[in-house]
Amino acid sequence: MSTSTAGQGLTRARTGVAVRGSGPPLAPRKTRRPGASPLTLGAFAAPALFLVLLINLYPVIYAGWQSLRDGSLIDAGDFVGLQNYADVLTDPTFWAAARFTVVFTLVGVFGSWFVGLALALLLKTRFPVKNTFKLLLLLPWVVPVVVSATAWNWLVATPQSPLPILAEALGLGNVLFLADPLLAKITVCVFKVWISFPFMMMMMAAALESVDNNVYEAAKVDGASKWNTLTNITLPMISRSTYISWILMTIFCVNDFPTIFLLTGGGPVNATQTLVVLSYVTVFQNFQTGPGVAIAFLMTLVLIVISVALYRQIKKVQIL
Amino acid sequence: MTTVEFSESHDATDSHLGAEPTKADPEPRGSWGKFVLVLVIAAVVLIPVLAVVVLSLQPSLGSTSTATFTLENFVNIFSQTDVLLWLRNSMVTTLATVLVSVAVAAPAGYVLSRGRSRLISGFSLVLFIVQALPFVTAVIPLFILFANLGLVDTLTGITIIFVGFTMSVAIWMMAAYYDSIPINLEEAAWMDGCSVFGGFLRVVLRNSLPGILSTAIFAFLVAWNDYLVPLVFLRSSEKFTFPVGLQSFFQQNSTNWGLVMAVAVMMMLPPVILFAALNRYFSVGGIGGSLAGA
Repeated sequence: MSTSTAGQGLTRARTGVAVRGSGPPLAPRKTRRPGASPLTLGAFAAPALFLVLLINLYPVIYAGWQSLRDGSLIDAGDFVGLQNYADVLTDPTFWAAARFTVVFTLVGVFGSWFVGLALALLLKTRFPVKNTFKLLLLLPWVVPVVVSATAWNWLVATPQSPLPILAEALGLGNVLFLADPLLAKITVCVFKVWISFPFMMMMMAAALESVDNNVYEAAKVDGASKWNTLTNITLPMISRSTYISWILMTIFCVNDFPTIFLLTGGGPVNATQTLVVLSYVTVFQNFQTGPGVAIAFLMTLVLIVISVALYRQIKKVQIL
Repeated sequence: MTTVEFSESHDATDSHLGAEPTKADPEPRGSWGKFVLVLVIAAVVLIPVLAVVVLSLQPSLGSTSTATFTLENFVNIFSQTDVLLWLRNSMVTTLATVLVSVAVAAPAGYVLSRGRSRLISGFSLVLFIVQALPFVTAVIPLFILFANLGLVDTLTGITIIFVGFTMSVAIWMMAAYYDSIPINLEEAAWMDGCSVFGGFLRVVLRNSLPGILSTAIFAFLVAWNDYLVPLVFLRSSEKFTFPVGLQSFFQQNSTNWGLVMAVAVMMMLPPVILFAALNRYFSVGGIGGSLAGA
């Protein structure tokens, strides 16, 4: 249904027929439908629009203006041109944070997708007390991140924690998960996958439900192996949902603050700093408002460009 | 068949706990094998959550108790922390966020679901971009704005931000549910002389309880779990909500795991109970359909 072209959509819009819904396309209506005038629809959307403008768009524009000044939280400061951007872009900390943001996002998106899809496929089959498991496996996503970060701290942070003790017992020596830069990076990424896979599991489970069971029956009759069924039928059929889940998770990962901040605070020696954490630390711990806002605004510009491009792509993803 | 429809994700066989075992199983032995596999996976995945619960039930530092199981942490947190205050503050902000989010997103979602014009496509794109923006960009301008309005260090202030936060996804969720309601129903109501708003209220919204609940659960989780907003906007300890309350207590008592975890249990109980009770109404799959169709 939603693959209808822009032209069709426009025709239907003119005749006042909803394009979406799972039923067959409705016949064009001769009369304009009563009531739902642009003005009414505008009034329906007005409160939401006002909020979005106030909480999301106005601050971004203000931040753009602020990134050109040397102000602080209480003082607007003087106009300094692109000085903040020059400072930020010549700082190796910024580029290190940018690199780790990319790594963190890639691992977060594809790690959680892989785990989420595998579990969704497993939960699609039948076994005892399945629905209880379904609920239990959503817990990492439902439990507040402050709580899970506390739990992970207990698990890995100190030499007295269970995982370092286990590593020592296995003869791996004194493993300090959050003190070694590489290990800290891995730990933070695993933590993010742990938090995010339930979301992917829900997205993928919903997508799998929409695949017609007859297709599987037909594949079975034709003697397709389980692996072939997965790669040639299931994955192509859920490609749009997969793509959308990747986009949403990319946004969640790039913008993620608490996962990293609560577990490592960006350390050790900035190893796990992403751009969001760097921006926060620059403003609220180093009190350099101009450069901090410049980092955030650079991210914003990049994200706007990427999200518009991705958004246009959503409608083009082909099914089968 | 192309998009994930909201209604498909909670059919009866899937949603009711315990409905499954009563069915005749074609291959019982294979199923028990899977049961064990999932049991192991769930056990490994849930170690951190189990750790919170187990530690909260063990004697904490300085305790005279020698028992392996005790509830004394849950008694002590009331005298040693402001847990009741955090609970109250979090409840107030969260419930306000849920109510306002649903009330604002419900009509806006209707526009996205039923309207077709370039302007509405633009609205949809704006929602998508807004969802993609890093909140850390908005923090400082909002802090300055809210300081001028006297909203810094108030629960009202963070509630307003939470509602703004939830808008995009809440609108998509509502729109996704409306999509499953045939437009004929409203048209019949309009024929009978109902206004557009009346039709929306009496026909569409009355049939949208699962969509409303889904949106409400989402808004609840955002407001209850978010850390950055209260961290920046709440300054005095009597305004603390759970996330900043627990974090500050943890930083001061990081070795006293029993007490810390008891507070953590208090914090995670409301969202877990809510989700366990209403989980069958919750669907994020609908977001996909809503995005693809807009």
